[in-house]
Amino acid sequence: MQVNEGKLKQVLANVFGIDVSTIDETSSVDTVEEWDSLKHLNLVLALEEQFNITLNEEQTVQILSYPLIKVVLEEHGIAFS
Amino acid sequence: MNQQDLTTALNHLVDESTYNNYVTVANALDHFRSEARHMPLLRVAILRNFTLEPMIPVIKGEIALAGFYPEIYLGDYDTIAQDVLEPHSGLYKFQPDLVILAQWIDALCPVLTTRFLSLSPQQVNSEIEGILTTVSEFIWALRRHTNAPILVNNFPLPSYLTLGILDAQSESYQTHTILRLNLELLRRLHEIRDVSIVDYMSLMARIGSEQGLDERYWQIGRSPIGRNALVGFGKEYGKFFRALLGKARKCLVMDCDNILWGGIVGEDGMEGIQVGTIYPGSCYQSLQREILNLHDRGVILALCSKNNESDVLEVLRSHPHMLLHEEHFSTWQINWDDKATNLIRIAQELNIGLDSLVFVDDSQFECDLVRERLPQIAVLQFSSEPSTFRDRLSAQAYFDTLVFSAEDRKRNRMYRDQVKRKLLYESVGSLEEYLAKLEMIAEIGLADSMTVPRISQLIQKTNQFNLTTRRYSEGEIRAFAESPDVDIFYVKLRDRISEMGLIGVAITKYSGEYAEIDTFLLSCRAIGRGVEEALMAHVLNSARIRGSRVVVGRYFKTKKNVQVVDFYGHQGFRLVSEDTNSRDWELSLEGRIFSGPSWIKIKLIEPEEQICKSTRVNSNRY
Repeated sequence: MQVNEGKLKQVLANVFGIDVSTIDETSSVDTVEEWDSLKHLNLVLALEEQFNITLNEEQTVQILSYPLIKVVLEEHGIAFS
Repeated sequence: MNQQDLTTALNHLVDESTYNNYVTVANALDHFRSEARHMPLLRVAILRNFTLEPMIPVIKGEIALAGFYPEIYLGDYDTIAQDVLEPHSGLYKFQPDLVILAQWIDALCPVLTTRFLSLSPQQVNSEIEGILTTVSEFIWALRRHTNAPILVNNFPLPSYLTLGILDAQSESYQTHTILRLNLELLRRLHEIRDVSIVDYMSLMARIGSEQGLDERYWQIGRSPIGRNALVGFGKEYGKFFRALLGKARKCLVMDCDNILWGGIVGEDGMEGIQVGTIYPGSCYQSLQREILNLHDRGVILALCSKNNESDVLEVLRSHPHMLLHEEHFSTWQINWDDKATNLIRIAQELNIGLDSLVFVDDSQFECDLVRERLPQIAVLQFSSEPSTFRDRLSAQAYFDTLVFSAEDRKRNRMYRDQVKRKLLYESVGSLEEYLAKLEMIAEIGLADSMTVPRISQLIQKTNQFNLTTRRYSEGEIRAFAESPDVDIFYVKLRDRISEMGLIGVAITKYSGEYAEIDTFLLSCRAIGRGVEEALMAHVLNSARIRGSRVVVGRYFKTKKNVQVVDFYGHQGFRLVSEDTNSRDWELSLEGRIFSGPSWIKIKLIEPEEQICKSTRVNSNRY
């Protein structure tokens, strides 16, 4: 499911305006400087559009790191390896 | 990231206006800042009382689509008062070209939307008065410190009304209270120049509040507008950007078969085509009604069709269910040549730029050909589902402007007359002979309150015969008209075929012995008839009478105004300096009286209602 991994990285790169190669398993609110509370809303928007899903409230505030995003997306049936 | 990436991102955005595509464009713009010098800058200040950040990429993308590089000043959350009232605030230091004031009613006056029944009728009135006072005080304060146009929104109706189905039964309940608030807002703002209302109410109704609002974002981040509506809201602002920047399109070019009617007239015959009151013919009538509406708004209509001309004209002239007739179209190209060639001919015949055209066709081949060869033209492909044609045309808002003048109502007739003049020209020998035969009368006067709206429209829209292409707002023009050191001249033209209305503008600024021609422009309809020389002669004579000794003229190069690069030279000015993008000219006035061409009769007009020069400034206005 490399495709979804790539798509997800692209969304993050786009929303935060950073290079896609800098995104990995360690990326989170704490390590990505551009990831502030306002960009977080844009991230929710972009994920919902890209993967055609709607996050529930809890998920909206949960997705604070790259691994957590994947966990939430998997709950929506989007597979990562 | 480079310019190519930006171009690619913009192309993707044109193809598909998703939120992610806007974000990509916004990122490309941010990375591209230093190399974007060729793009003119548009400085937009946004003041708001809610979280508007998610909309910023869409707003940036819309500005870029209009051909400008966006520079955004985003006021802090709910600090509008500090920004607008303090003369040295970040807002005014930013020197905006445009100010957006975005206020969400739930943040401005929550009691009105959520606890309406706790208010007595008197309290409702005082809440409304409070909102109106706040908003108009903000706008007046802005107007005191900046001439930038201001966009302010009205208020959407709540999704669920406090009294449920009972609400609609009395005008004192919630729905009508908010409608009244919106109406009063319009009335209060009407008296302040260069303020436009962004109609959140209609926009939200179009999107649907169940679709457009997202309670999650509101509760979590004070961001009321949901994902499905963000693009819609940003695009709504985009319509204003295009209108204010003079990017509205002017001419709709329609294909005929399977666009104006169902079927192919060359094969099915006039009896066989579908247009009428029942499906599917009713879909084509519906589209035709919208085209008629555009016609009445002043959009030029043209046809571009691969057909026998006589077949199409027969349908236009005698099909009983056609709503569009021959007289609605300013020109047409009905032949078997390729459509790109025909579109160029249409633009030349009407003397407008290709980027003023919108082309509608059903064929993938024709649409692709035009997109490829003439990317300036906006192309709409309507190849199936005729019931959707009308809304798909309306949704683009290609022709939206913020002015509607008497000239607009007559525009198609004026362009038809122009085509007639062309025919007359072709029947006469020399150009001078032809011009003399037209029996032209130029009426020249100073701007007054009757003519300012049309003058501002020309200043916003004229591209080709425009020496400096300075885009002043209506408010700035009024300020010039009131200034004792500035004259705004207009020229109206009529001839024996028709009245063309106000078609030329010149602005002169006087300073000591110098007079500088700040603006000199002519509507493309009137080019090539010598009226520019008549106007120039009047401008020069007026400067001489005011005691000026030298007149300075400038030419600023744009993509479109090459034809006037040597205009001042032809008028006898001396070239003083030049570089790649501009030329400066001078003319010494001493002892000279200037006159225009012999074939134009001049009539000087006294202003009907002269805008008072600074001696008596209207105290309401400032």
